[in-house]
Amino acid sequence: MTNPTPQADELVYTRVFEAPRELVFRCMIEPEHLTHFWGPVGVTTPLETIRVDPRPGGVFETVMVNDADGSRYPTRSIFVEVTEPERIVWTEPDNGVTTTSTFRDLGGSRTEVRIHQVNVPAAFRSPEAQAGFSTSLDRFAAYLAKLA
Amino acid sequence: MRVAQDRLDATFAALADPTRRAIVAQLARGDATVNELAAPFAMTLPGISKHLKVLERCGLISRTRQAQFRPCHLERGALDSAVSWIEENRRIWSERFDKLDEHLRDIQAGPAPADTAPAKTRGEPADD
Repeated sequence: MTNPTPQADELVYTRVFEAPRELVFRCMIEPEHLTHFWGPVGVTTPLETIRVDPRPGGVFETVMVNDADGSRYPTRSIFVEVTEPERIVWTEPDNGVTTTSTFRDLGGSRTEVRIHQVNVPAAFRSPEAQAGFSTSLDRFAAYLAKLA
Repeated sequence: MRVAQDRLDATFAALADPTRRAIVAQLARGDATVNELAAPFAMTLPGISKHLKVLERCGLISRTRQAQFRPCHLERGALDSAVSWIEENRRIWSERFDKLDEHLRDIQAGPAPADTAPAKTRGEPADD
């Protein structure tokens, strides 16, 4: 299976970009690029707030600013792995979330980026636990959606 | 924040057990007593009670103090917050990648052709 169903304690998000892998990879670690896309809709990440030291143990800091009211959301992650142009792993010390970005060259200047975020401490992530999460919580999510 | 995260961790840990997931699934259909919950399992009442305590501690279920029946009730909010972490992050990445897509188009199109592109005519098309 190339795109397995994400478990309930984790997020898998995949997108294909029309750009060469080296360029897409640089966009994820260079402030001059990050400032253009890092904040979601309605949020800006000013260039001067971005600090990136792309090596294991290096920081990845941003401040996301809400366009509507100016409220600021600082983020702080530590790089665990930076393997150009294939893989970036960082972890957020405040909440233990680990994010792995994988860059796959699809040929013809197309690149697939796969984001994998894990939310739960490793101790709880037994294979048995993982096997059960997907089915049961997906059902719950569907069920809750029906209630809403 | 830290407290919310701990609660979320506890919720995921509680749901890592298949018996507890089955209990939660049954409670999603309506409140039930310990006896009713134990029925589908080859498990003693104390065994089920142990699972219920774990679910209660992380706030997934609550129990009323009604004599020996003490029906269990699913607290949907706790379940909801476990699910919404995923939904919220999915939204963020989706919006972020929409912007990245746009940014990649911009930089690959080269510098803005401000002084090279022929000026576009804005007037009415000539009809002849």
